[in-house]
Amino acid sequence: MAIAKNLLNIAKKEFTKIGLPEELFTKNKFNLLVDRNKIVTKYPAPGVRSEVIETPTGVKTKVYIEPGTKLEEPVTLCFGAAGRTDLQTTESEIIVGEGADVKFQVYGAMAEGIKLKHTAKTKIVVEKNAKFVFIDVHYNGENTLVDLETETDAYVGENAYFKSVFKQIKGRAGKVRVNLKARVDRKGVVVFETKMIGKKDDEIKVEDIIYLDGEESRGISKSRIIAVDQAKAEFIGETYGNAPRCRGHIDCSEIIRGKDVVVKAVPVVVVRDETAKVTHEAAIGSIDKKQLETLMARGLTEDEAVDVIVQGMLR
Amino acid sequence: MEPILTVNNVKLSLDEKPILKGVNLIINKGEIHAILGPNGAGKSTLANLIMGIGDLKSPTEGEIIFKDKILNGLEISERAKLGITLAWQEPARFEGITVEEYLKLAGRNNPDLDVEECLKFVGLDSSYLFRYVDDTLSGGERKRVELASILAMKPELAILDEPDSGIDFASMEDIARMLKTMKDRGTTILMITHREEIAEISDRASLMCDGRVIQTGNPKEVGEKFKNMCITCEVKNPQLVGGK
Repeated sequence: MAIAKNLLNIAKKEFTKIGLPEELFTKNKFNLLVDRNKIVTKYPAPGVRSEVIETPTGVKTKVYIEPGTKLEEPVTLCFGAAGRTDLQTTESEIIVGEGADVKFQVYGAMAEGIKLKHTAKTKIVVEKNAKFVFIDVHYNGENTLVDLETETDAYVGENAYFKSVFKQIKGRAGKVRVNLKARVDRKGVVVFETKMIGKKDDEIKVEDIIYLDGEESRGISKSRIIAVDQAKAEFIGETYGNAPRCRGHIDCSEIIRGKDVVVKAVPVVVVRDETAKVTHEAAIGSIDKKQLETLMARGLTEDEAVDVIVQGMLR
Repeated sequence: MEPILTVNNVKLSLDEKPILKGVNLIINKGEIHAILGPNGAGKSTLANLIMGIGDLKSPTEGEIIFKDKILNGLEISERAKLGITLAWQEPARFEGITVEEYLKLAGRNNPDLDVEECLKFVGLDSSYLFRYVDDTLSGGERKRVELASILAMKPELAILDEPDSGIDFASMEDIARMLKTMKDRGTTILMITHREEIAEISDRASLMCDGRVIQTGNPKEVGEKFKNMCITCEVKNPQLVGGK
């Protein structure tokens, strides 16, 4: 018990230092908090059954949300590293039962100055008529070097809704590969949103793949990536319209700021049914001049204006 | 009357084409001054040059003086810090920024800032505070938010480029009330318009034609001149008077 409390204090100290809201700790918000391969806290949420096993390099999690479960408060999880380790691996399996309506708020927190490889594999099943929102927000230190590889593979059942948001908010992104994949059944909806900022020599690669397999299924893949200094960023959005009257849209916008930045956007649209429709829009460019000038005309300096615009896009 | 802005024989050529051909204009502190003129007269170019928008930081010749400070060469934010701002005819949209945040940014140096009141003056209720300043607002709503941001900032000089365009104001009184509110709070207004009925709200008006100010005075008289002469102008509308 004393060890767990000590781990919690260390996590609180290191994670709030890199920007995690303090009230997550003071108000005891975490349903699960993992530091490297140790479970620091674990509290059940109503209607959510879970099994978490510590492994030599991380944790394996199985979560089952009972059918019809509706939670007003999000289930809050944190997978982080408050101290040195070379490797952290997490494997998660989440099943959202029929008709359930839940939100997961997940924090990734890598303490200031550490260097590690983190791999995350997540399998998600959203059953018929269920709604599942998965917000994955990453906080790193400005001198943290993370090699992050995350794969999410989801099945969205009939008339179900799944939204996944991946955000990297504070600190260095490091080397990041985000791979999101979903198969969507009849009248199901999937929304993928990725918002990241790459600085210095960060490398970001985001790949969204949506298979609209069910009649009248819907899919949106949206990315906002800001690359500054010498950062490299690549977005690949693939949407496959495989079923009658399915609709998909890819919307990627990448902002470059710095002459050594390299940014690439590749929307791939494949349609296999004559009544399906998949559209895309991709924009790569500098900060919108009119936005910049508007804020400067209100008295903000150019740097302040850029910061406001970028933070707005990443929100 | 004390001048707040002096435009002194300003000439501007873009790609060797003369756009402003010697503009002379004095805006007095505390007045609402309309600049009236047909499309292409150089009104918006002059507004942008005063604010330093884009590459328009200095005229090719002449000076623009705000109070005692020559504006030539200054950056937009430096001009804003002196107390000048501009509301665009087509305002920018911002992803992820709420109306409340936008108004608070604009009014961050205004100790009396009341964002709800700013919205009220442009005919929007407080529910708009939580809306985003993006495509979810209609063109008219976005325009109103832009005008609210001027009220929030409370600058010494506000340049309003076509403040009525795109807004479904119920009446001319609405626009007049809003401009009067800005004026009562110490903001001098330079208003660009091509509608003489809007210009008539002002204290004084100037008529611009072909890159020059050709008349300054009573808004009714300037408006009449605009209505009677500019519509059938041989320079701008040669087909109407049988010219080439």
